[in-house]
Amino acid sequence: MRAALRGRDLIEFERRIRAECESGVPLGAYASSHGVHYVFLGERGAFSLERPHAEDRAASAFSTAFPGFSWDEREMRDAWDVRFADLPDPRPLGSNGGSMPAAVVATGAGLMHMVVGPVHAGIIEPGRFTFSSGGETVVHLDAQLAYSHRGVEQHLVARDPLAAAPYLARVCGSCSASRSLAYAQALEQLAGTAIDFRVELVRLVVAELERIYNHLADLAASAAGAGWGPGFARGMALKERAMRACQRATGHRLLFDAIVPGGVAPQTLLEPGELRRSLQALQSSVERYLESLFGNPSVVARWERAGAVSRKAARAFGAVGPTHRASGGKIDVRAFAPYGAYRRIRTSVASASTGDAFARCAIKRDELRESFRLIGAALANVGDARPKAAATMRVEPGAATGVVEGPRGAEIVAVHVDETGRLSRVHVISASYRNWPLVARAMDGNIVPDFPLVNKSFNLCYACADR
Amino acid sequence: MMKPSFRGSLGIRHLVCGSCNGCEHEMNALNNAYYDITRDGWDIVASPRHADVITVTGPMTGAMRAPADQTVEAVPRPRVVVAVGDCAAGVGPWAGAPEAGEGAGVVLNASVFVYGCPPTPDAIRSGLEAAAELLSREDVSEASVSPARIGVAVWSAPVDD
Repeated sequence: MRAALRGRDLIEFERRIRAECESGVPLGAYASSHGVHYVFLGERGAFSLERPHAEDRAASAFSTAFPGFSWDEREMRDAWDVRFADLPDPRPLGSNGGSMPAAVVATGAGLMHMVVGPVHAGIIEPGRFTFSSGGETVVHLDAQLAYSHRGVEQHLVARDPLAAAPYLARVCGSCSASRSLAYAQALEQLAGTAIDFRVELVRLVVAELERIYNHLADLAASAAGAGWGPGFARGMALKERAMRACQRATGHRLLFDAIVPGGVAPQTLLEPGELRRSLQALQSSVERYLESLFGNPSVVARWERAGAVSRKAARAFGAVGPTHRASGGKIDVRAFAPYGAYRRIRTSVASASTGDAFARCAIKRDELRESFRLIGAALANVGDARPKAAATMRVEPGAATGVVEGPRGAEIVAVHVDETGRLSRVHVISASYRNWPLVARAMDGNIVPDFPLVNKSFNLCYACADR
Repeated sequence: MMKPSFRGSLGIRHLVCGSCNGCEHEMNALNNAYYDITRDGWDIVASPRHADVITVTGPMTGAMRAPADQTVEAVPRPRVVVAVGDCAAGVGPWAGAPEAGEGAGVVLNASVFVYGCPPTPDAIRSGLEAAAELLSREDVSEASVSPARIGVAVWSAPVDD
């Protein structure tokens, strides 16, 4: 009876989403003016399960069974008026007229509450962390972000898809190249454009440079979190050298606008030989750094068992990237759904199982080495000729989703182009957005003073999570 | 070489108001061994109460408006607000976005604007030197009337046709 009322296709839709959450790779969910879209990763890239809005916009929440979609569904309700009857956390996700909803706190005898943020003591983006603790032991941490919410996605609506690329490059400074690549992939799907293999090699070099400078910064910050000043100073000096390599390779220290729809910017990788030499020198310095960092028993002892994320929690929250792989996950988009030059130059996937700060750092160590190897293989094949100019594209109406493996995990851009050839909806799902809820969970049972250490072992961005 | 005195030494507090964190990468670079501002007696400080200069980034978001005002107000006078990056000057990519303001530096009445997307560490250093110069004057209160400008805006909106 109930089945007949709800409609067979709705039941089938819900069954498929539950099945994908159970045994597939969930990436995120969003709403558009048409309906709701749940995004998953398949072996050929991202795919969406979609359904038009009900007349009254009523919908069933999937975050009841799969907490990974909690932020996504709250955002769908706040921004698109999707009426979920049963959201586990009913609070607005972000601020409402400048005020944040009250934090969730644990109460009980001997528990106290400590609020940190939105303004922090270092050079850090804004976010509010509310700790409930008994003595120093954290019982609950509520992380409330969205202070960097600019309305990025609305700002892109009605723009020309090709002309919008520089905006996508500036959603977040730390994963700019990855997002540019995911956006380019989506437009290239809609235009039916094939990219020259040499250009794909150049894109791989740019994407791996992004991983190198980010992972170096993360390890340096994790050394600082463990209280080892020299490890921080040396790591940040190496990051500076990596940023200078980025400058030489693309004309920009953070790789902005190097990857464009249809190819790469004309100034990208003009002197591959010079880059090869400077990266060889950097690689040997990085190797010495990694040996001293991981050979320092005081640092390693501080990292071990701090901020552990169980395999089960990583799975339930849909963790991606190093966070996922540190907790026993096997998926790296570069290897699971290879794109561009990763189809021919295969990525070896880093793995660890303890899920603690040490495991996340060890994943980044292994990925740094792999990035240097991948760049070496790409540069060996790229030759000395200038990369081809970006292909001319005609972006056809429709919807497509690009997904790449950024430094923090899967970076996703969903793009809808209307009949006039303009953007009607762009949605960014960042690896940081996926992983942030786990930073809070990782603190359960840890001590308050370990928060910087635990937090820096993730080192997530706020800008791409908040948009 | 060490300066003859720490005249012009600065306590610098950084405030993020919806930046993409590109500017934060370059602010952080000021502390690395290549730029090391501590050689000049400059330091990034943990509290606005310890600061002479407050660097601000981002277009200014709705959610950061009140916390930003409180943070600047907590910096003792004389103080100088330095806007870092095109967004803070109100000429970045998110100017006009629904939850973005006119630029953190514009809203918070900056006396120095450092342009760039993001500005280089050297450009930010020039902005901090301009701030130190302002602080050495008898009266810095009028400085924001004709602010110092370092570099030129890099961001230009793509032609959309």
